[in-house]
Amino acid sequence: MGEIRDPIHVFVRFRPDEEKIIGSRAFQRLRYIHQLALTYLVYPGATHRRFEHCLGVMEVASRIYDVVTNPQNIYHDSVREFVPQDIFWREYWGRVLRCAALCHDLGHLPFSHAAEKELLPEGWDHERLSQEIIMGDEFEPLWKELKIEPEDVAKLALGKKKCKFEFSDWETILSEIIVGDVFGADRIDYLLRDSYHAGVSYGRFDHYRLIDTLRILPASPKDSQEPGLGIERGGLESAESLLWARYFMYTQLYFHPTRRIYDMHLMEFLKEWLPDGRFPTEVDEHMNFSDNEVTAGMWKSAADSTERGHVLAKRIVSREHFRWVYEPSSSDQLTALEPGKTVYDALVEKFGADQVRRDVNAQKGGSYDFPVYTKAKEIDSSLALSPTLSKVPTFSVDRVYVSTAVRDEAERWVAKNRDKIIAGTGGEEHSDGTPSES
Amino acid sequence: MERLQRASILLTLNEELRKAGSWAGETHMQKATFFLQGLMNIPLAFDFVLYKHGPFSFDLRDELTFMRAQGFFRLEPQNPYGPTLVAGEKSELLKQAFLQAINKHLSSIRFVSQKLGTKTVAGLERTATALYIVLRESDDVDPAQRLTTLKPHISLPEAQDAVSEVAQIRRELACERAS
Repeated sequence: MGEIRDPIHVFVRFRPDEEKIIGSRAFQRLRYIHQLALTYLVYPGATHRRFEHCLGVMEVASRIYDVVTNPQNIYHDSVREFVPQDIFWREYWGRVLRCAALCHDLGHLPFSHAAEKELLPEGWDHERLSQEIIMGDEFEPLWKELKIEPEDVAKLALGKKKCKFEFSDWETILSEIIVGDVFGADRIDYLLRDSYHAGVSYGRFDHYRLIDTLRILPASPKDSQEPGLGIERGGLESAESLLWARYFMYTQLYFHPTRRIYDMHLMEFLKEWLPDGRFPTEVDEHMNFSDNEVTAGMWKSAADSTERGHVLAKRIVSREHFRWVYEPSSSDQLTALEPGKTVYDALVEKFGADQVRRDVNAQKGGSYDFPVYTKAKEIDSSLALSPTLSKVPTFSVDRVYVSTAVRDEAERWVAKNRDKIIAGTGGEEHSDGTPSES
Repeated sequence: MERLQRASILLTLNEELRKAGSWAGETHMQKATFFLQGLMNIPLAFDFVLYKHGPFSFDLRDELTFMRAQGFFRLEPQNPYGPTLVAGEKSELLKQAFLQAINKHLSSIRFVSQKLGTKTVAGLERTATALYIVLRESDDVDPAQRLTTLKPHISLPEAQDAVSEVAQIRRELACERAS
């Protein structure tokens, strides 16, 4: 086994045949893709890359696999029936899982950009690009040498949400080990890693305990027998801690207002700077694009007013990002169906569309309902057992920003007219105090 | 369909499921929405795949979370099953804004709610998966056999019952539409 030092997992160990994946051009490209895009402009330490994250996901996924397939940790016949008992198949799927974990982010765009709908042709996203790479020419000889079916790797790397192949129950569980909504190794690693590098300690939780207590369990022996990833009762607090950590990381880091506006500016710059406003989807061309090319292009554009995207690049390079002037208060929320949109529309009318931006986003995923194996050897719902899980807030943002040129005036204007705008009685007061028609 | 309009349909579905005896958790919302879209042809545009307890839409899962974030739904703990989704503090505002759309689809929403309202998660899983197969697979596939292949924890007699039930629901719907 080779080993790589890692600040989160101390060592990430890899097998000689996995070294070929790590050494591939597609995987090495991840050294040049920032995990958190331009977040380093707000949190200077957040300069870590997809490369080490993918190594970390392999390490975590492998640990989870060893725990949940340990025969001593399988309590139900319905689960025992589909977990391979044969050493050959257990070892095969263990290798597939590790490779899939390594490859799950290969298709990421520069700066891990989330605005894929805007920056890729219709029907494309980074998962589809990952699949193209996994099933493409560069990796074909690797899979042959490893005696692994590329389709199996693609399934586990992308999961049911993005992969159109048919999944067995077993493959579904394995994909959940990597990309699962609650306990996925992807999530476990990125929370710990992002927290560490950004210096935001809220993302930490006891992942050792969490991983040791993960189990494959039927949803409910009294109702549906469908198997899924669950946890032993003794690990419930570490699961709670993970899910609260996720909430705090959204509030403090992922949805940080300045980070979000930089993302929007970057997307606008890319749309103007890229040929046809889109990233290429052909694998070789995709491979030629990393943060390095975009950053160099951005600096060049910012310095030269004749370059494409000059104004947009300057907003990022010179830190002339738009400033946050409004988000709905709790009373605004109860007064209007879409208070953010109402204020945004009014500001656009007053200052012009090029001076105003609106960011609307919410965290993804469902409620935190998973099976828990209790001391009484029964299965219960996590949400029934945990006093806190159903209270983890759902985080969303609805913020309006304006350019620095109109910031002061816009702030005064919003403070003065906000109530009338929200109430739908017009934005601007005339000198006699009556609302305008708008 | 516009996003908030679609949210008003989901909110109404939740209310009607509750009236029909459902505890209206996320699984109930998932399967009933699949029926609304697949059987009643309401253009909600959710992409369904076979996943947790049968047809499942990741987009719908995210949409229900978005609706909680917006105050259209809230989670209410309900032992021993876990929480149910209930109308949130902004639900009335949403309904008032889209009364016309709600009224247009109300009979379809009620039809589905009546058929699924009293089912357990296991029952929903069987019936919704049977509909998924009937709608998506070719006629030469035995839907009950296929159901047991896709969901090995469901027995063949249970699968056959589910396929018969779906056929019955479709007959009733055809009669209702004819009248």
